[in-house]
Amino acid sequence: MFLTRSEYDRGVNTFSPEGRLFQVEYAIEAIKLGSTTVGIRTPTGVVLGVEKRVQSPLLESSSIEKIMEIDTHLGCAMSGLTADARTMIDHARVTSQNHAFTFDERIKVESVTQAVCDLALRFGESMENEDAMMSRPFGVALLIAGIDELGPQLYHTDPSGTFVKYEAKAIGSGSEAAQAELQDKYHKSMSMKEAQILTLCVLKQVMEEKLDQHNVQLAQVTQEKGFEILSDALLKEAIEGM
Amino acid sequence: MNTFVSRFAPSSSALPHSKGAIAVEDDEKYSDLTWGSQAGFGHLGTKGIPSFKVPSLADPSAFLRMHTDDYADPSCRIKIQHGTTTLAFRFKGGIIVAVDSRATAGSYIASGTVKKVIEINPYLLGTMAGGAADCQYWETYLGIECRLHELRNRERISVAAASKFLSNLVYSYKGMGLSMGTMICGWDKTGPALFYVDSDGTRLKGDIFSVGSGSTYAYGVLDQGYHWDLSDEDAQELGRRSIYAAGHRDAYSGNTINLYHVKEQGWEFLGNYDVTKMHYDGPGNVPGATGGGYGYEVRTAGRSASDADAIDTSA
Repeated sequence: MFLTRSEYDRGVNTFSPEGRLFQVEYAIEAIKLGSTTVGIRTPTGVVLGVEKRVQSPLLESSSIEKIMEIDTHLGCAMSGLTADARTMIDHARVTSQNHAFTFDERIKVESVTQAVCDLALRFGESMENEDAMMSRPFGVALLIAGIDELGPQLYHTDPSGTFVKYEAKAIGSGSEAAQAELQDKYHKSMSMKEAQILTLCVLKQVMEEKLDQHNVQLAQVTQEKGFEILSDALLKEAIEGM
Repeated sequence: MNTFVSRFAPSSSALPHSKGAIAVEDDEKYSDLTWGSQAGFGHLGTKGIPSFKVPSLADPSAFLRMHTDDYADPSCRIKIQHGTTTLAFRFKGGIIVAVDSRATAGSYIASGTVKKVIEINPYLLGTMAGGAADCQYWETYLGIECRLHELRNRERISVAAASKFLSNLVYSYKGMGLSMGTMICGWDKTGPALFYVDSDGTRLKGDIFSVGSGSTYAYGVLDQGYHWDLSDEDAQELGRRSIYAAGHRDAYSGNTINLYHVKEQGWEFLGNYDVTKMHYDGPGNVPGATGGGYGYEVRTAGRSASDADAIDTSA
């Protein structure tokens, strides 16, 4: 298999004879090396949960940032090369602010997801008179959570620029087991509390370490409070409630 | 088009609109993708200070001045709204911001219900003097930049930084016709902070500012009554009273007063007061109000020269 690929996985924008873009596929593989990230939609809000891999006892776990705010009503969790996500999230933030500036309204969850995905395929060899573009695809997948006039929504984006709406989605290294667990336990009429607990249970199953408030992070988007990362006290309470 | 250019270009028409041509080329740097994904604002935010297309003339700012300077030419085609009184002062309880609500275009009163305090975000206020559109647009734009600063740095922007951003921004348009005189007021880590920023690029830190055609009247009352240790109620009354004085004496200011108080938790809107009502009856039952109206009828107690009875008794 490697031999047949070698011809076509050099150029980032070259299709193989079977019609595949290998560099994009490899980028999708990169996500599977990332830590597990889970998102669950409920009728009243969306819950995001991530595993924080604390590689060293000297590392300050609070400095690992895998859930970020896009705007008051939008949040985002990531898996893969998290450094790449910074570019995408900054783009999402600017897009969201510019939307508010031009239209004096909150941007829709789908629109902000679309804007992030527009970025995803802007890689390759740049033309002579163009500003330098990105040399490779992003190596990160995002779960974008938010609330707009269509209610709470959860979107998944990947390096190919595809975006899909989900009720519950897991990405990262433990995603297969986690997704199976979600399919088993998820139901449409979950409360936010139940969604938090399911997120933690799913993470607990796929994590190697014992789950505690230092190696996971929870965030939620609700109608009342918008996006918020759960404080240490609230996270501890949620873990104790499992 | 070319005859139009040569007619209005002050320098030799043998040099065709070179500046304009450059400006158009610049604009093509932004690809269609940028336009598609960011609602036409792809050049904002990540690329720093945005740029507008400039008219294809040798000297666009001279062209603009020719049609907007109602001082030199009272019959100019575009009359920019100028008259105003705005004030803000710092004291122990925060910052009081008071403004009038009249918009004039030449001697015509275009509106009496203008919101001259721009709520940039829940803890920053900007005031409007000069071109209403310039203030409204650029201070709203300042608001989105402040929000991005907050998201990127997980910390609220300081008033000093926000006002510096605005002054750098307007300086980049210096000489191109921007007209704004604004006070940026807020509460940050350093406490209450007040900056004056105008379209020349001036940025001043201070305790008391008043801007606009009625500012001299407002300063008169303000300087006389100002003290750092003013109570909240007295400070609010001083702000109201100062704008009232300007509304009374300055023909280009008046109608109503909008009063804001910036506190540690953010700004608070205190109310809208009618200048005429204040003259005869006072601001109503509000904290700090002295009771009666501010006008002279109250104080002359029937002995005013304009009083028919007063003339009778002196005779």
